[in-house]
Amino acid sequence: MSENIGRIARSSGRRTQMSDAQRKRRKTVQIITGAALIAVIIVMAFVANQTNPKGAYIVVIGTLLGYALQRSRFCFTAALRDPFLTGGTNLTKAMIITFALYSFLLMAINITKFGISLDSVDFSKAAGYIRPVGFHTALGAFLFGMGAVIAGGCASGTFMRMGEGFLQQWVVVIFFIIGSMIGGVAAPIVQFKSAPVVFLPQLFGGWALAAFVQFSLLLILYIAADIWGRKKTGGR
Amino acid sequence: MAEKTLDCLGEACPVPLVKAQKELEKMQKGDVLIVNIDHSCAMKNIPDWAREAGHNVEIDEVGEGEWDIVIEKC
Amino acid sequence: MSEEKINANKQKVDYWKILFKNEWSYVTGAVVIVVLATALVIVTGKSWGVTGILHLWGGKFLELIGVNADTWSIYNGALGKFNFWNSIPSITNVGIVLGALLSALLAASFKIKKIKSYKQVIAAILGGILMGVGARMAMGCNIGALFSGLSAFSLHGWVFFLFIFIGAMVGSSMLKKWFM
Repeated sequence: MSENIGRIARSSGRRTQMSDAQRKRRKTVQIITGAALIAVIIVMAFVANQTNPKGAYIVVIGTLLGYALQRSRFCFTAALRDPFLTGGTNLTKAMIITFALYSFLLMAINITKFGISLDSVDFSKAAGYIRPVGFHTALGAFLFGMGAVIAGGCASGTFMRMGEGFLQQWVVVIFFIIGSMIGGVAAPIVQFKSAPVVFLPQLFGGWALAAFVQFSLLLILYIAADIWGRKKTGGR
Repeated sequence: MAEKTLDCLGEACPVPLVKAQKELEKMQKGDVLIVNIDHSCAMKNIPDWAREAGHNVEIDEVGEGEWDIVIEKC
Repeated sequence: MSEEKINANKQKVDYWKILFKNEWSYVTGAVVIVVLATALVIVTGKSWGVTGILHLWGGKFLELIGVNADTWSIYNGALGKFNFWNSIPSITNVGIVLGALLSALLAASFKIKKIKSYKQVIAAILGGILMGVGARMAMGCNIGALFSGLSAFSLHGWVFFLFIFIGAMVGSSMLKKWFM
């Protein structure tokens, strides 16, 4: 990257605050701190295993999720917001890819668990979350989407940016927790007991049609996102 | 040829990108816009957008977690 | 190009950049995230969630400062049963913070980003509360309801998708108007 600097002429010159030697030293310090952090995470994994036999594995998965989110700058909020705000849909398309891949895998796990018959599906034991749908879903998702854009990060993004050193996100998480407590009181008001759990394979009478609908919708959304992105960013 | 620097240090997504878009719209062909950022997402989404819009882009890492995105309007 | 020059170029391969520095494409990130989330389901039987336990963190904090919240209707004894190491989302949330920190450090791009203006604080407070309330109402966040819900063929995931989109649209115009 930095090898290619200088093709564009700048009258102000490069903004540098440090000498090369200084920069090299600071870089080394960060990498060594990173190595030390790996040791901390390993210790945490051992501690986790004292209480929970699967604790170490969960610690490693969590850490890798954070690593992957940061390294790829993956952000669900941006995926949902950028189509309007900037016209970019690259992240939106990547998000749709996660849905498609994960749908495929969760379907495999759930079929393995319950068999192809839908009579024995136990929602509480299913892979993925199958929950009641209703007015509460719509209102909650709307508020959540609004909040995520204003706060500059969704649930996963907030934790990821906390790790990156964003002080604003440390404030966000405090109020996210407070909001969750308020929500605990407010939620029952909008969650009606009659809200049904709708599982698409049951709705469509089988996995085949449900899968067809699910993947067709995702494909349509992917194509729509692609067209929208091309239109908005100058049609390349 | 004009040159302008936007200080977006400490600003979270999507503020730097929106500001850069607004600024670049006002500029002439050949002008250079420099965006100072320290948000790791912006160091990807600003260059991505600018390249797709057909501008010349350079990413200059001026310090740990701090970048200058140099955009030449085309 | 002379042979020497080609050799010189070859030696310049910077493995640190390849392994730790260069950012991944969004699609690479997408695939890795799905693999990790699937592994989590297979091993623990539970899907990736983020927000379902946050109110318990708040309650635990209240306990720490001497407020017994366990009898409140939103907890109803859940606080007493809460154990950090048995709470998968708690561990993965802390893991996400540590993993992101690790990624930034190994890439030598960690920087503490200070809060620049009071607007950012207001945005953080308002956004945080809206997300918290919204996630409790919808029984999940962008991970629990959208990623792990939509992908489980549950209609609530699709409804969540539609309305988080509308919410993001409204949020974007609010952001443009008041927080920039």
